[in-house]
Amino acid sequence: MKGFAAFLKKEIREMIRTRKLMILLLVFLAFGILNPLTALLMPKLLQSAEIPGMTVGEITVTALDAWTQFAKNMPTAMIVFLISVSGIYTAEYTKGTLIPLLTKGLSRSAAVLAKCTVMLAAWSAGFWLSFLVTWFYSGWYWDNSAVREILFAAFCRWLFGVLMIACTVFFSSFAASAAQVILGTGSVYIAMTLIGMYDKANSYLPVHLCDSLPLYTGAAQPSGYAAAAAVTALLSAVQILAALPLTNRRQL
Amino acid sequence: MNVLEVIEVRKHFGSKQVLDGVSFSVPENCVFGFIGRNGAGKTTTMRAVLGLLQIDGGEITVCGERVRYGCTPKSGNIGFLPDVPEFYGYMNAREYLMLCGEITGIGRQALNARCEELLRLVGLNGETHRIKGYSRGMKQRLGIAQALINRPKLLICDEPTSALDPVGRKDILDIIRAAKEQTSVVFSTHILSDVERICSRVAFLEGGKTAFSGSIEEIRAMKRDPALELTLPRPADLDRVRAAFPQSEISDGRLVFPKASDRDCADLMAFLAAQEIPVLRLERHEADLEDLFLEVIGK
Repeated sequence: MKGFAAFLKKEIREMIRTRKLMILLLVFLAFGILNPLTALLMPKLLQSAEIPGMTVGEITVTALDAWTQFAKNMPTAMIVFLISVSGIYTAEYTKGTLIPLLTKGLSRSAAVLAKCTVMLAAWSAGFWLSFLVTWFYSGWYWDNSAVREILFAAFCRWLFGVLMIACTVFFSSFAASAAQVILGTGSVYIAMTLIGMYDKANSYLPVHLCDSLPLYTGAAQPSGYAAAAAVTALLSAVQILAALPLTNRRQL
Repeated sequence: MNVLEVIEVRKHFGSKQVLDGVSFSVPENCVFGFIGRNGAGKTTTMRAVLGLLQIDGGEITVCGERVRYGCTPKSGNIGFLPDVPEFYGYMNAREYLMLCGEITGIGRQALNARCEELLRLVGLNGETHRIKGYSRGMKQRLGIAQALINRPKLLICDEPTSALDPVGRKDILDIIRAAKEQTSVVFSTHILSDVERICSRVAFLEGGKTAFSGSIEEIRAMKRDPALELTLPRPADLDRVRAAFPQSEISDGRLVFPKASDRDCADLMAFLAAQEIPVLRLERHEADLEDLFLEVIGK
């Protein structure tokens, strides 16, 4: 436990000193501002654009538009986040920075879990910052109560991000480079999307959690996402747990 | 009691048998020189001792505790200095030592004092810059400090002087010599003058095996007869002496006896005196570690 605490402190210091945390928070903040801003400016942009043969009538913007933007922009923010943390393990293994600490009695599991904790904390901080900014401006300009299940839809998106972090932890236990980790994580996403083409499987798949619009409009109920959420949580836990023995066996 | 016992350790990478029965032991408070050519398997052996490498056979014990793959032996408290130590560039030396100390579970007050003591020992006590700006020598010194943080019973240094300039080398050797008071040191190298300077025991690694292991005294005792060199003022005398001692050779205007026993030496001096041959210089070369090393590896 003392090894985990010391290593966690080191990871937090690394996030701050390398300015990674600041950059990530700025990215999430920017997306948070962009969501209502895009919704706000889009009609004006469309109206000002003179496209021959097309007339733009009166467009009414609601909070739903801002949250639709949130749902559209979050995958991009998540990709930026995953790329920025993809080398968090492999850089330590290839540079050999972990070896002096391991020979002092730090367990590999403590190192894996400390890094995982920091990634989850950074993802949560960034994601919910973006959510709060969107929520604040959306409420400021329009009425958030017109949109249903905002919090649950956001929770689903956040949970999907947790799964992607678990993928990063899992692939890092045997991958040789950050590129391989990204490739592995990306493959999981693509595989899930392909399987999701079968309607029967879709409601159990983690990618179903990214389908926020039906929740916003009331076309779908949170109960319809329970199975996907349970599968996502289970897969995340399994991947993180599987990474521990794999990292222990890894030749450093 | 031996701090480290390596018994018949074997390891292969693909088709290459890197270690093929390496055995040696390191007693307490000893600087142990682990000598071998580049690629002889020194680093592989050291990583196996640290539990960082799975061995195919044999046994390694540190302070009586058997080393298992994936677990660094705890009871022995091993300090390790890699050949090219890499640290977190965004920390300074004190912060890095504090991290190491916290991992080993040293209390806050004791850790502060220990960091101060070690930074002074390695000459980094006034250094407040971040590690990313350190020279190789500074990193090597910090490497020793971190390895000693928990007062280990065994300090393993993997070629600590190979990439350093003469001043850096001397600094590191002085620090290792000072560390000997607290710990046993295993020190791998192919720089034999470093070994002669600080080691009390050595092992030669060749062909994946321990070709020789013992104390410096034992090495001296088993050394072949030293070479003898005779320089004469009159070149004509060289042939007379050469005729009397056929085992000698003429090289660069000197007479060289590649292997000369004490008896040979006495006979030569008696001959020179009897023939009244004037002598400019008569010199006996003690065979050094390098000679022995070359003999061991068959060169």
